[in-house]
Amino acid sequence: MPLFRSGEFRIAALSGALLMAALGPRIACATLGEPEITVQSDVTQLRASIKSSEDRAGYRVHEIQLPGSTLLREFVAPNGNVFAVAWNGPTKPNLRQALGKYFDTYAAAPRPKFVDRRHMNIQQGDLIVQGSGHMRALSGRAYLASALPSGFNLGDLH
Amino acid sequence: MAFLRALRTGLGVALCLSAISCGGGGGGGGGASGTSTIPPPPPAPTVNTTSVIVDQGPTVNGSAIGSINTLFTSVTVCVPGSTTSCQTIDHIQVDTGSYGLRLLSSVLTLTLPVQTLSSGASLVECTQFVDGYSWGPVALADLTIAGETAKSLPVQVIGDPRFTNIPTECSSTGGTQEDTVTTFGANGIMGIGPFALDCGDCDTTTNGLYFACATSCTDTTVPDAMQVANPVTLFAADNNGTIIDLPAVAAAGAVTLSGSLIFGIDTQSDNKSGTQTVLTVDGMAELSMTFNGQTLANSFIDSGSNGIFFADSSIVTCTNSQISTFYCPANTLTVGPLSIQGTNGAMVNNLTFSVGNTETIISTAPTDTYSVLPQLAGTLPAGNAGSFDYGLAFFYGKRVAVAVQGSMTSVGTGPYIAF
Repeated sequence: MPLFRSGEFRIAALSGALLMAALGPRIACATLGEPEITVQSDVTQLRASIKSSEDRAGYRVHEIQLPGSTLLREFVAPNGNVFAVAWNGPTKPNLRQALGKYFDTYAAAPRPKFVDRRHMNIQQGDLIVQGSGHMRALSGRAYLASALPSGFNLGDLH
Repeated sequence: MAFLRALRTGLGVALCLSAISCGGGGGGGGGASGTSTIPPPPPAPTVNTTSVIVDQGPTVNGSAIGSINTLFTSVTVCVPGSTTSCQTIDHIQVDTGSYGLRLLSSVLTLTLPVQTLSSGASLVECTQFVDGYSWGPVALADLTIAGETAKSLPVQVIGDPRFTNIPTECSSTGGTQEDTVTTFGANGIMGIGPFALDCGDCDTTTNGLYFACATSCTDTTVPDAMQVANPVTLFAADNNGTIIDLPAVAAAGAVTLSGSLIFGIDTQSDNKSGTQTVLTVDGMAELSMTFNGQTLANSFIDSGSNGIFFADSSIVTCTNSQISTFYCPANTLTVGPLSIQGTNGAMVNNLTFSVGNTETIISTAPTDTYSVLPQLAGTLPAGNAGSFDYGLAFFYGKRVAVAVQGSMTSVGTGPYIAF
């Protein structure tokens, strides 16, 4: 894992890897703002399987195949916490699960003007939830602005 | 009122057309020749055109909800098999970016029969939108629009008081529960995009869209014939696609804009293909657009989007928090070129469009009262730099055909969009 810079992250990543090995293809995602290794409660909830895990410069991405063909990606910071999730596919993921304690904040956010069911852009304090698309092709992302790793390019968050 | 006027005009045109076609056989013959047999007149062609309008939207509590760049029509629905239990509903959104007819229960005076699965459970759908969801049963209705009829069409009744317990699996997809006219933004929606069904694999996969509801609701697979369907595909004729024909509008916009929705492509004299470019769309009904030197593979042209949405960090966004994702350049910008490519390789190049200052448009007379705003444009999230969403403004001043997957016209096989 040459791209991991901090020792802390290396340990977290290792724990995650061990857990993944233990759970095999049934592993699901962690939750926004929570440690990467807190995935066990999510496994049965999402009926998902991990498709790939990729180490990028300064962070790691788990790509999770949900039932149906929707993909959910979880972005893990060097401190071992999930700082963002992103999705695309014919349906949305279970955002209550993926956003965890931030779901209620998201759900309570006021709607902006000119809604057309094609766009979503919610900013509530540190939480940002965005989406676009149309029927049979929905995409979106949620992240914690203060938790983005330094140098992270938002253009890579999809 | 504008809508009713337009509807009356549309009906008038339809009546004139049928009068002409019926009267055509009678002229010229002398009255005296008693032995000749007069051939029966040819059957009048099915009226395949209905009027559409961009206006302020349906009325709730005495005032229009203030729609912008939203295309509406009227439909007549009947209890299946009945010619008397029928209702005409106005302000049904015409949407090329979705599939199927959905009606808001609050405007529906009929009781439409809900479909039941082989288990005896009722079929209920959680329709997912980017910013929310709509919950309601899948019922059957006979739909009539223009002279076209779809018998026993599966339609969703949104917000039906018979099905109020929304399963967590549905509400957990998040966003707004869009089960009222105000939250939904229309009295209903008619999805006439280039596919037949609102789900690609719900006959074999449970994915949170369809539910079997008895004492509780469970995610279920559904036979294709029971799924909410693009109504055009169930017409007896003129069922291979649609054409939206809207007049051009002044750069600043207009209070309303009236045009036509024509059913069928190359099926009658009024829907013939011409020299337009045919752009085949991919399995998600998307095209590739090239803009600012970037190829945006997940782009789409969509009558259901109310602006022109794209990422361009060089254009300033609005400071007003309610419209902070819309663009607010100091002066109206001409933006482009934009090119659009289908999966068949066909291209339309060098399109340009205008981007206005959204704050000025919505707060300054006379545009503050306009529902037709061709220069309204907004951002897409930066993570979606692979997409360009060209909304209803694309259709202004154009005749845009959408052919359904697998159906043939004189210029190609669907799914395609042509203009």
